Amino acid sequence: MKSLANTHDLNESEEDSCKKFVDRIIKTNREIFILYSLLDKQMCGYDLIKEIFFKCNVFLSQGTVYPILYTLEEEGILRAEYSKGDMRSKKYSLTSKGREIAQKDMKEFIKAMEQISALIQR
Amino acid sequence: MMRNAVNGLERLLEVEIPRCSLLLVTGAEGTLKSGMVFAMISNHLAANDEHGLYITLEQSKESHLRNMSSLGIKKRDELHVFDYRDMRREWADRELDMIKVIDEVIDFYKDKYGNLTVFALDSLNALYSISEEAHLRKEMYDFFSSLRDKELTSFLILEAPPRMVPGSFHDYHRPEHFLADGTIELGMIEGKGVVKRYIQILKMRETRHAMEKHQVTIDENGINILGPIY
Repeated sequence: MKSLANTHDLNESEEDSCKKFVDRIIKTNREIFILYSLLDKQMCGYDLIKEIFFKCNVFLSQGTVYPILYTLEEEGILRAEYSKGDMRSKKYSLTSKGREIAQKDMKEFIKAMEQISALIQR
Repeated sequence: MMRNAVNGLERLLEVEIPRCSLLLVTGAEGTLKSGMVFAMISNHLAANDEHGLYITLEQSKESHLRNMSSLGIKKRDELHVFDYRDMRREWADRELDMIKVIDEVIDFYKDKYGNLTVFALDSLNALYSISEEAHLRKEMYDFFSSLRDKELTSFLILEAPPRMVPGSFHDYHRPEHFLADGTIELGMIEGKGVVKRYIQILKMRETRHAMEKHQVTIDENGINILGPIY
């Protein structure tokens, strides 16, 4: 996952305000960010929370991430397995169905964000 | 509805348990607390177009479902089982606010399925053991209130150590018992070389109910409640 764009050109208050919206967007679309994070590598719930926090500075709480992982696994979108020699963490990866869904959802999400951005830009 | 959710439960309940009630299910180990709650919820969901959530803090989901299957209790697709095992392993070095986690898990399933109406926590003892003690009493009050606010009929399983089981009412003067709308006790009685399981409703607000201990049996079709034990 790429890190959030540089915000050096924003003053402190603009940065706070920007953070507020990024926080809200990621939290309400956390499933997409989870699927996106799993595009290239296997991760457990802990890794996912850490990765999204470091890349986006948004903390997705445990009580919101784990139920998503469990339901996506039940729906055949994710596959879960314990890594060899480490039974402590269950690593998730996308199934082929999950990969298709992730790519489609991300495309639509980006399109929606672009539309909103175009709509409110003067 | 709940009154018909387990074969023979109508012997104890004259009328239906009000929706959004908060019920404590208490008893010593091996008295079928988890099985009784799972069967009540599963059968209730089978008869209604609703969803339920069962959070197990003690057993893994797989082990819990194997246990239920061995008791002849079938899991409905509408009953979602969430276990805490992965979270516990991966966050072993951090202290989690489990009441907040449970709250968020409920919200997730409520958002996803809309008609999530029944909730079970297995068990309160496990929740106590992994929660900070300092503000627990206040937190429990808030937790119970939040379950009511979410309009859930809730079952909270509380294992009572054997010394508390004999049934004297002063054993039940703990905060959970005051806060709950109902208390269902499950236990075992030994007599004439035979051990019998029983269920007794100690309290059920807004509901006329029997006070006697009724025998509980298990067969291939699940749990049955028979007549009074004496």
